[in-house]
Amino acid sequence: MSTQLSRDQVRTMMAEVLSAQGKELPADDSASLETIGFRSLDFSELALRVEDEIGDELNFDAPGLRAIETIGDVLDFLEQLQTA
Amino acid sequence: MTQPAEPVGAGNRIITAGYDGPWSGLPGLPNLPPAAAVLVADNTEAVRAVWQAATTPRETLVAASTRVGDEQAQGFRESGLAVVRAGQVEPALTEREPEVGRVWLLTSGSTGRPKQVAHTLESLTTVAGDPPPRTWLCPYATGAYAWWQVVTLSLSLPGQDVLFIEPSELDRWPKMALDAGVTAASGTPTFWRQALFRSGDVLAQLPLEQITLGGEPVDQAILTRLREVYPEARISWIYASSEAGAAIVVHDGLAGFPAAWLDRETPGRPRLSIVDGELVIASSKAAEGMDAAIRTGDRAEIVDDRVLITGRIASDEINVGGSKASASKVRGVLLDHPDVEWAAVRGRKAPLVGQVVMAEVVLTEGSSTTDVELTAWCAARLPDYSVPRRLRVLPEIPIKETLKSDV
Repeated sequence: MSTQLSRDQVRTMMAEVLSAQGKELPADDSASLETIGFRSLDFSELALRVEDEIGDELNFDAPGLRAIETIGDVLDFLEQLQTA
Repeated sequence: MTQPAEPVGAGNRIITAGYDGPWSGLPGLPNLPPAAAVLVADNTEAVRAVWQAATTPRETLVAASTRVGDEQAQGFRESGLAVVRAGQVEPALTEREPEVGRVWLLTSGSTGRPKQVAHTLESLTTVAGDPPPRTWLCPYATGAYAWWQVVTLSLSLPGQDVLFIEPSELDRWPKMALDAGVTAASGTPTFWRQALFRSGDVLAQLPLEQITLGGEPVDQAILTRLREVYPEARISWIYASSEAGAAIVVHDGLAGFPAAWLDRETPGRPRLSIVDGELVIASSKAAEGMDAAIRTGDRAEIVDDRVLITGRIASDEINVGGSKASASKVRGVLLDHPDVEWAAVRGRKAPLVGQVVMAEVVLTEGSSTTDVELTAWCAARLPDYSVPRRLRVLPEIPIKETLKSDV
């Protein structure tokens, strides 16, 4: 049985991914991923962290990846994947 | 059929959980057909089968019964070998004369089901000369190539006694070795790391004169650790495979072998070369039916005039978004960290990039290094796609029956 993570919990994990590289996650969800240096590899790591936490594999067949440009997009997308 | 001459080492002492005495005192196995696959429960049963193979005209395969499934046992019977298991004989399904002197080996099976390789006691004997008397520790999986190396050493040279260790005794072998007077030990790097980790104190009391490592890539860190514990011992690294026979032996305490040995023709020695990053060996001790030059499947790299064996080619590459990370390189970087005792690295399926690098490590006792610190250590030494994205710290080294860690 998997447990869904809250938006805040995922946000904390995202901050952890960045802090491991000496970067800080801004408070503003509209900040662009390019500006903060959050790359596809970082997104992959975050997704694996979420998978490990919820004990389930996320289904990435879902559309919408191209729309991810901001911190908010990442959080929305992972929220959406957990409920897919 | 002629009776084989009694082995030179017949008087050497053999110690198993159920026997302590000379090879020549071992009773044979009753009802052992002349061509048989003996699937053994322990080393006592195994050495009895070996003694019979060495002293009577026959064809033999010896393997731990846990390593052979029903389907493979059926295959043995179809190829003309009776299967002997727990005292029961299942006759061969193909009638043929035994190939006298034939010894069949199963490869370690790390890449799938164990393969069957043809040798003789002679082709398995790779140590010659007049070594000093020693009591060897044999912790290898029963019937594996490295196990046969210790067995044939003891059969063919005087003064080479052996203490055999069962898989269930691996945690307490240093104490058993102390009691048996072990002075030489051969094991995989994983075996040595685990011993230093779990039983470092007892290990340091063992009067080891000869330490041999083989069966897996050997890194400088484990060689250096063993040198610290045993400043006087001869530390040898052996590159051997069931298919190629023992091929490379190095005693200088440095990882790998001198690059000057490549492409050199020396009578009686194998010719070593690197082809497309892979170690290729032409050896007179090769198993029968093998090509003159055997592609080992092991990745070889030249670093500072040394040839380093860094891992299996097939399993070493991790594709991270099109960039190729080398699992063995990442593992090497982790093992270079002073607090890392053991590391395993593999690819994990991940969105967007296909795979990411993940690592498991065991830290030295008392270390408080965190996964974040280890990630930073890797990030300072590796391209970003090679830095482990998931890193787990394990409480102890996981180990398989073959004594090779799953790296």
